[in-house]
Amino acid sequence: MMADEAGRAGHGSGSRTGAVSLEFRGVTKRYGHSAQARGAVNDLSLEVPAGAICVLVGPSGCGKTTSLKMVNRLIEPTAGQILLDGVNVLTEDVTELRRRIGYVIQHVGLFPHLTVGRNVAVVPALVGWSKERQLARADELLSLVGLDPAGYRSRYPFQLSGGERQRVGVARALAADPPLMLMDEPFAAVDPIVRERLQDEFLRLQRDLAKTILFVTHDIDEAIKMGDLIAVMEEGGRLAQFGPPDEILAHPASDFVARFVGADRGLKRLSLVTIADLELAPIAASAPPGLPTFSPSTKLRDALSVLLAADSRGGVALDEEGQPCGFVTVDAIASALAEDRQPAATRSGGVTRQGATGVGAAAGDDS
Amino acid sequence: MSGEPLIRWDWLFAHLGPIAERVGQHLYLAAIAVSVGFAISFALAALSIRRRKLYPFVTVLATAAYTIPSFAMFAALVAITGLSVFTAEIPLVLYTIVLFVPNIVAGFDSVPWDVLDAADGMGYTPGQRWWRVELPLAVPLVVAGLRLASVSTIGLVTVSAILGDSFGGLGYYILDGYKRHFTTEILVGGLLSIGLAVIADLGFVLLQRLLTPWAARRTVGG
Ligand SMILES: Nc1ncnc2c1ncn2[C@@H]1O[C@H](COP(=O)(O)OP(=O)(O)O)[C@@H](O)[C@H]1O
Ligand SMILES: [Mg+2]
Repeated sequence: MMADEAGRAGHGSGSRTGAVSLEFRGVTKRYGHSAQARGAVNDLSLEVPAGAICVLVGPSGCGKTTSLKMVNRLIEPTAGQILLDGVNVLTEDVTELRRRIGYVIQHVGLFPHLTVGRNVAVVPALVGWSKERQLARADELLSLVGLDPAGYRSRYPFQLSGGERQRVGVARALAADPPLMLMDEPFAAVDPIVRERLQDEFLRLQRDLAKTILFVTHDIDEAIKMGDLIAVMEEGGRLAQFGPPDEILAHPASDFVARFVGADRGLKRLSLVTIADLELAPIAASAPPGLPTFSPSTKLRDALSVLLAADSRGGVALDEEGQPCGFVTVDAIASALAEDRQPAATRSGGVTRQGATGVGAAAGDDS
Repeated sequence: MSGEPLIRWDWLFAHLGPIAERVGQHLYLAAIAVSVGFAISFALAALSIRRRKLYPFVTVLATAAYTIPSFAMFAALVAITGLSVFTAEIPLVLYTIVLFVPNIVAGFDSVPWDVLDAADGMGYTPGQRWWRVELPLAVPLVVAGLRLASVSTIGLVTVSAILGDSFGGLGYYILDGYKRHFTTEILVGGLLSIGLAVIADLGFVLLQRLLTPWAARRTVGG
């Protein structure tokens, strides 16, 4: 049911839907042959609707990479099924399958001996596109990930920064327009500032692409930011909780999940909810001038920060046209968190995405 | 010795034709040894990579062969293969193996695991992965092996002069000069042999640059 919500978010934001649904059904992986071998993944079941980002998050060694690699069959499951649009991946030709699935990894794995352009065009080349079409596609994708084709297509990977390599990695995975992308800690190897920019850009891209994405990270903040759905995994490859980010933060299903998302999960929720989700008080006639103002897409976290910094009990919420439409108070923000239900707009992942792009500007304007 | 100049240029100019022929023979003997040695070594390296347990045995055998003095090996082989080209080539080929195999194995080992993982994930078939990813990325170390083996072999070819006039390349002049106490001949044979080794080495460096424009070099900023 939460999956449905996220599905709507995914479909609603993207027009094209070449995306497929992804389902793990009782998937188990034990390395080694003995029956007692400790399972790396244990009876994993989850459904990701087409067009949604599902994040697998959990401590190191909990089986995230193993789960991801079973989808493109770099690893074969010991038991269970993985279905793409209802078709068991084990029944498909393995090479064909892999060429239809985008794959991005932490170490990027660009081919050092190929130029950036040819790296991007690897899968189109494998599936036999004409040279011209490969080149055109490589240029198109480089532009898409923010690299000027003229300046980058003929470079070799050693001539790129870490962030540029990651972008090329993403472009390469998108080259043949795969309906499903597997991303294993794709932004883990770059510094925090670059990582944040890559995350934002990727979310913006995804709004148009609307791919189905299985995204692995060990970083709960990244999971909250990127995920329409979050699967929290614990040691032994067990699924501890599966749901939209806000639900994981508001209602951790176990002590493990509560510890993993952190004692500050209340504050983290603030990043998921925006001014538009608040129930606003009317603006009092006596309100003093010069109060901070907030656009609808401002995250509550940023609004609270502005209010606390300005030592102001309240600020003015603006509507889409920039007209004042209500009064925002610290108390209202606090009670929004206290409410034992999902934030007003229950848009799950959609909330996160819009929040990610609108806020930088809004918060900047207000301060 | 007293009035004799170090090099008798008149002798040199009178023998340009035969010297050129010896250079040709020298290159021919070396090229055969390096090519055959490379082919055998490539097979041994491929085997060692697949069956890692075999690698120490291959290394030990190749090193053992390398410890046999060339002089002794040429002499011993005369009893078996006579004064044929095999007698000259077998030792030369054997000596290259210890230089080639570790470099070829290291070349394939040097291919980063994340690149292989990406290649598999992108949908390269095993054959495509080998030809289009592993082999090109192994090139720098394979060529390093070629440089070593060719320099070493070009030097060793001279020793095969002990098998007689139809062997040895430039080594013929070294041996002949030694027998006749004729310094010019020794110098011509020795220096030209060194020159060939240097040229071969530079040639492979050039080849490597052409084959691996992608390799980071100090002269190019990252
Ligand atoms: N090829 C392998 N052979 C044996 N054990 C493995 C292999 N790959 C991973 N494992 C083990 O499986 C468990 C899960 O690994 P992994 O899926 O890589 O975890 P994560 O990506 O969450 O860090 C770990 O205990 C790891 O040691
Ligand atoms: Mg991992």
